[in-house]
Amino acid sequence: MIDTFGRTVADPQAVRDMSHEFVEKIFAAAQPGTVFSAPVISGDYTIITAGEVMAGGGFGFGYGSGSIPTPEQQGGEAGPAPTNQDGAGSGSGGGGGGSSGRPVAAIIIGPDGVKVEPVVDATKIALAAIGAWLSIALLLARRARATRS
Amino acid sequence: MATLIERRTTSGPPIVVGNVRATPQARAVIVRLPFGGFVWHRPTNVLIERDGRVESVPIDDVTRIAQVTLWASAVAVFLAVRWWWPNR
Repeated sequence: MIDTFGRTVADPQAVRDMSHEFVEKIFAAAQPGTVFSAPVISGDYTIITAGEVMAGGGFGFGYGSGSIPTPEQQGGEAGPAPTNQDGAGSGSGGGGGGSSGRPVAAIIIGPDGVKVEPVVDATKIALAAIGAWLSIALLLARRARATRS
Repeated sequence: MATLIERRTTSGPPIVVGNVRATPQARAVIVRLPFGGFVWHRPTNVLIERDGRVESVPIDDVTRIAQVTLWASAVAVFLAVRWWWPNR
């Protein structure tokens, strides 16, 4: 029983180690190198791109153990004696995460000074516009229907 | 013990071109949870040093500003409709 418990403890430890490594990978997104690219030199101009990075994740694990009732406790006939393997605990865990990034601006350093040129994501803006106006249209239609009835 | 929510200002490598030295800066929001975490890291401004003068040029996220404006206007219209045109 102790061995079984020991194995049970060993597995969560391995999961903890793995999850620690996993969390460190998430927090690596806070390093400056993730936001700013390496400078690109083109003639007199040096260009750096700046982007937004989001990363997140989580994990969980669990285990359990219990004792198997003896045949006497079950009210049945006596069978083979329980072994150490009976009532052994088991556990498992899992986790998930993800990250996303998108360009925000280009920093251009040249003979005429430093310029910050924004990067406009037209698709995201169009989707936001469609969503916003669709929700307003649905609201107005619902109100108009409620007024008529 | 690390704090639950941390705000950190980070700096990229300084770029020197002629007499101009540009240092990009960013801000990271780190949420540490017992079983996970979240990081939001975005550029904020560029520090420009020229002839002993330091100037800060903001990095505006035009896409995010447009998205927030659109959704804020939708919420404003929703509240206005509820206020001026109540359900009967």
